[in-house]
Amino acid sequence: MAKELLILDNGTTCSCWNYCGARLAAGSADGTVSIFDFCDSASSSSLRSSFKFKAHEGNVVKVVWVPPEYGDAVASVSADGVVSLWEEVAQDSQPTQWKFCKSFGSSSSKVLDVQFGTSLNSLKMVVACSDGHVRVYELLDPLELRNWQLQAEFQNVIESVSAFGKALCFSASISWNPQKGGSQESSFLIGFNSNTSELNSSKVWEFDQAHQRWLPVAELALPEEKGDRVYAAAWAPNIGRPYETIAVATQKGLSIWHLGLNPDHNGTLPVERVALLPGHEGMVWQMEWDMSGMTLATTGHDGMVRLWQSNLNGIWHQQAVMEPTA
Amino acid sequence: MSRVASDTVGNGALVPFSEDTKDSLAVYPLHHGLAPPISRIAISWARGNSLRVSLFATPSSEPSRTPQDQSGGKVLEVKLGVGDPEISDSRWRQIAYGSVAPFALLQSRRSALSEMIKSSSPYQMDWWENVLEYSKDITSLLSGPKLPPGPIIEERTDIVKKREEPTCLKAAWELLEIFYADKQSQAWLPEKLVDWLADYDSLFSSTHETVYGKLARFQKELVDIQVLEDDPRYWEVMSSALSVGWLDIVVKMLRLHGSYQLDQLSNRELENGLVEAVAVLISKMPRLCHESTNGKLGELFKSKPDFIKAWEKWRSQITKLDCSPFWIQCGNHHTREGLRNLLQIMLGNTESLCMATCYWIELYISHFLYIRPFTTGIESMYNLAQKCIQLKPPSSNHKLTGLIVGILEENTEVVLAESSREFGPWMVAHAIELLTAGSEQAEIVLHDERYNLGGISMIELHRLVYAQVLSSHALTWQIAPIYLTSCMKQGMGLLENLLYRQSIQHNDLLLKNIEICRLYELDHISSDIMKVAGVYHWKHGHKGAGVYWLQQSKDTSRLNRIAQQLFDSVGKSISDESFKQWEGLIELLGSESKPAGGLEFLHKYRDFKRSLQQVYGGKATDAARQAVGSLILLMKNPSTPQRFWLPLLYDSLKLFNWHECPLLNVSETNLLLNKLQELSWARLHPHFSEPNLPAEALSSIRLALATNLGRAILDE
Amino acid sequence: MAATAMLESERPVIHRLPQHKYIDAVRWLPPLSTFDRFAVLAAFDTDSGSSSIEIHSLNPNPLSLQPHSSFSSSSRVSSLRASQFLQKTVVAASTAAGSLHILFSDPADATFESEVSMPEEEGLHSVPGSCVDLMDGGVECVTVGEDGRVNLVSIGNSNLSRDRLFDSGGLVSYTAAKWASPMEFATGGYGFSLQWWDKRKPGGPVSQFKANWDQKFTAGIVHSIDIHPSRKHTCLAGGSLGTVFAWDLRWQQQPIILSGAEVQSISESEVWEVQYDRCIKSSATSTRILPAMICSEDGILAVIEQGEEPIELLAEPCAINGFDIDRHNPSDVICSLEWEAVAILTRR
Repeated sequence: MAKELLILDNGTTCSCWNYCGARLAAGSADGTVSIFDFCDSASSSSLRSSFKFKAHEGNVVKVVWVPPEYGDAVASVSADGVVSLWEEVAQDSQPTQWKFCKSFGSSSSKVLDVQFGTSLNSLKMVVACSDGHVRVYELLDPLELRNWQLQAEFQNVIESVSAFGKALCFSASISWNPQKGGSQESSFLIGFNSNTSELNSSKVWEFDQAHQRWLPVAELALPEEKGDRVYAAAWAPNIGRPYETIAVATQKGLSIWHLGLNPDHNGTLPVERVALLPGHEGMVWQMEWDMSGMTLATTGHDGMVRLWQSNLNGIWHQQAVMEPTA
Repeated sequence: MSRVASDTVGNGALVPFSEDTKDSLAVYPLHHGLAPPISRIAISWARGNSLRVSLFATPSSEPSRTPQDQSGGKVLEVKLGVGDPEISDSRWRQIAYGSVAPFALLQSRRSALSEMIKSSSPYQMDWWENVLEYSKDITSLLSGPKLPPGPIIEERTDIVKKREEPTCLKAAWELLEIFYADKQSQAWLPEKLVDWLADYDSLFSSTHETVYGKLARFQKELVDIQVLEDDPRYWEVMSSALSVGWLDIVVKMLRLHGSYQLDQLSNRELENGLVEAVAVLISKMPRLCHESTNGKLGELFKSKPDFIKAWEKWRSQITKLDCSPFWIQCGNHHTREGLRNLLQIMLGNTESLCMATCYWIELYISHFLYIRPFTTGIESMYNLAQKCIQLKPPSSNHKLTGLIVGILEENTEVVLAESSREFGPWMVAHAIELLTAGSEQAEIVLHDERYNLGGISMIELHRLVYAQVLSSHALTWQIAPIYLTSCMKQGMGLLENLLYRQSIQHNDLLLKNIEICRLYELDHISSDIMKVAGVYHWKHGHKGAGVYWLQQSKDTSRLNRIAQQLFDSVGKSISDESFKQWEGLIELLGSESKPAGGLEFLHKYRDFKRSLQQVYGGKATDAARQAVGSLILLMKNPSTPQRFWLPLLYDSLKLFNWHECPLLNVSETNLLLNKLQELSWARLHPHFSEPNLPAEALSSIRLALATNLGRAILDE
Repeated sequence: MAATAMLESERPVIHRLPQHKYIDAVRWLPPLSTFDRFAVLAAFDTDSGSSSIEIHSLNPNPLSLQPHSSFSSSSRVSSLRASQFLQKTVVAASTAAGSLHILFSDPADATFESEVSMPEEEGLHSVPGSCVDLMDGGVECVTVGEDGRVNLVSIGNSNLSRDRLFDSGGLVSYTAAKWASPMEFATGGYGFSLQWWDKRKPGGPVSQFKANWDQKFTAGIVHSIDIHPSRKHTCLAGGSLGTVFAWDLRWQQQPIILSGAEVQSISESEVWEVQYDRCIKSSATSTRILPAMICSEDGILAVIEQGEEPIELLAEPCAINGFDIDRHNPSDVICSLEWEAVAILTRR
């Protein structure tokens, strides 16, 4: 049932597939990022390494592909919290190579997660930082990945006035609404794993065109669980359901949420938790929805890969487990 | 009687990823061969049901000895819920390809029909005949390769023959056809089942002792048996074959009886007479015939009353023979007991039937043949099945039995769940057409839109699930749209996701992808795809292809950026040799008629630059006039972006200051001056981008134009 | 639009032969004897991820293809040509990775006996996509690619030598090529452009065609070109949107549209291949374009002729990705079908 595609080099720490599953980017402890390609189209026979470049001095902890409308480019995050953006180009009859575009980071806070989304025909990059701040950058020229502008910076809280001490965040999880709405506005979801309970719960942020600012439109946590640390969050593709489906992992387990499509008079979207599932006995590393949004794959601290589905009666349950064995 | 399917079968799973999820959760090993421990796992869905898992080993600090230890991780691909291991991948693809046309035909007939009768349900009239035709198409698709024909001269002792290798998939399909699609067969259900078992009994041999298995074994041993009729297996096998109605086999075997041998005929006359009498009775067994059941033994009757009459007569003949005094005179103990047992079977002796059959389904079939030959209607059939299961409790479950029980108890959900679990998404997506034709109630269950499923019906759900499976393979994803477009609510959403996730690197694949967008009017998706292709080619040094695709996607914002770059490049390279290369690209940008997105002016710009080149090259006034002509054309053309005006005019300084004569007339000069004026307004606009020109450019242009104007006025 | 209806007795005999592999290209092999017939298939096995170029023998009664000889290719075949040279059959294949393979087969038994190739490292083409045409008589190949390179490769017994005629540096991409004479050839590309080259004049095409199509006509990509030996001044091209047109070098900027746009088109999707149909005797005068066969993404194989209704030979539920008319038996056509099959048609 399982087929081996690739053996990774020693020290590889993270990987990410591009939009069509034809290229893999892998980050390593020595700060390099490797790109692998399938030898032939229409086959998933074997991957071979095609490029390797040194993106960071330290450990690479995360790699993310930029949406393909902006080229073949990856953003990598290092353990010291710097984002480095590289793209593949071949100019003036030169062979194809990977070029550095830009890096993002500050001395005061580390970048924990980065995700790209398109909204109103422009590329947005959302960055979550260790001080609990969320930054949204906007690409100015669609063909030039070097020119970015900071569009907004805010904290993941509903009430902006609430005061709390210096936040220390360990991890964060960002998930864009996967809707491909080129010229439409888009929204994203973010949750933190931090020592500050106000920051933690997953909130849905939407851009308010009239006032040119990002607003929280939903909070995915029960009233008594708002301070729970969020390990991972994933927004399911919606192929036509009358609600959005979102998965959020906290120490209590995996929650499946339904998010209504129509806001109430306050502009808030109705939410309903439809399932609480046991999860991975601790930290959840990653959650991924399939392209129909029917099956959720998760992996975490217990070292398993688990698949979750709803049955015909709307009851969510575990569908299969994959256990790595030597 | 009815049980809730979702509680018992496959957890009511939407996608049957695991073969058996009845009680315990299926745990799949992911063999990676890495040195433990695994420090981290990353997961990613590829298209459809294909999940890619990256496993990262804990980095080892010390240099390791074996290369095995050195690998830092593995990337695995897991394909989930693909279906039936009985059938190879390439065979599955063939079935997938072959079922497209029947499926599409049925859908188009359905929509044509519902157009015709908007008011009432489309399943009236003779809808089932369409479904039956569809079902027959699928059946022929599922037929395996014909086995090579046996030797032309048949061995006297050849008793079991196969025409083609049977598969569970085809067996299941035919079963569904009998019960749901073929309305004419409703009256002949028992007879159809007898025929069905004759074709597929061998399949059950994988999990159970079967009549077929007994026969096949006996066939092998046959040559070594000296005196056939003295061997108890001979009689046992015959009684088994008779119990499930394989009359021709039994008659053939009876004729192997030793008493037929010429040298024995005289002294075993009576014994032979009894054997022959039984053989004749067997071959005269009255049978209801549903269609051309040719090549079968038994007396065939088309109408029920005739059949009943014949049946009673036949039974009385058997009873008469059973009570005959000749039995006492028959010296051969084996023959006597064996033949009488055959008679008991024909008389419907439950105990004999129970002994003769191996598996509950065989016992069930024997009931229809000998105990309840006049059975009609499905209601009593389920009770009988339960009785047979009690009499012969199965030690293990064959993949077909769950389906049979589900059908008999008329539980649509169980039938679906069993089909899905045992035969996978292809089966469900296609068989559901048969189920909806089966009954009003099933149709309601299957068409009902459920909130829990996100507002879709079971039919749509199973098509989506099948489309996901198709999407997982590089060669079958192109079929998925056929099924997705038959899904009213969520099909298009999934199709969009599928199309967007195709690689654009290879033109053939890209064009096939765009063709699907065109067929289903998904212009926004094809525009996205072409944009991705355009950016890919542009960034990878295929400028012509990049511009072509961006033009196709009408991406003006990117084309405007490109126009700027090309303007600079064309301007620079016009003088050198490499310009030849640009020619082709500029040709491609072509004429005004196409939406080139601010690029068509490059064509004119090229002409302008070329004549300008000649001017600088020292050519005469004619060239200069030509250059002016091109300049005016460029400046008049609304497609020439404003940001290029100043560089164009600056390039033309020499023309404005032409010493021999003013090259521009009054109105032309005024046109250019007006453009300059417009430019100075535009510079106040916040988004104006200043061209990279010397600071005095504007003023020197203005001065030159003013001078030219003065000279032109004097000239006129 | 509806194609001309054919009488039952005129319909071609069609055999569909499943291959259980994706067929990237098909060609007939020039006949070696009057009794044996062979076809060469470029196949891609998705289960194993391997590509091969296979010679199959054609067995009558029942018609079937029998694998005969096979060469395993490192990458998928993007275009395939077969010709004859000094009593040997020569097969030329360009691959998606940019390599070129020339295979020689033994005239006696039609098995591959030797091979010369230009591996991708030699930089004939940078990925992706390239196209090859083999000169009649088989001593020289032209290869063109999306990278904008135009190469001439001369074939020796043990080596290939490359000569780069032109490199557009990617500014122009080429998607089709066809020899017109030992000195001239035509190429096609994006925007329905065609170029005419003379190998004695390197540095660029000697003539370019880029019509000012009218408004209704959207530009597409040329996928295939054919040039008839008796009319070397006319280039027949097929491409996107069911477009088939001819470019007469003598009337530079005016294409003769045979299908597509307002002209009766038998297909609206990609025309993957065009070939002059040597089977049909044209009633046309010498000024008209000769009849041509096309295959398309929407599963049509048809013969089109200027001013006549198209004749549909095959309408498949899946794409027909390529075909080849047997030069020596022009009534026979072999097609590669999207659904891992080959179809063989015999016209009556």
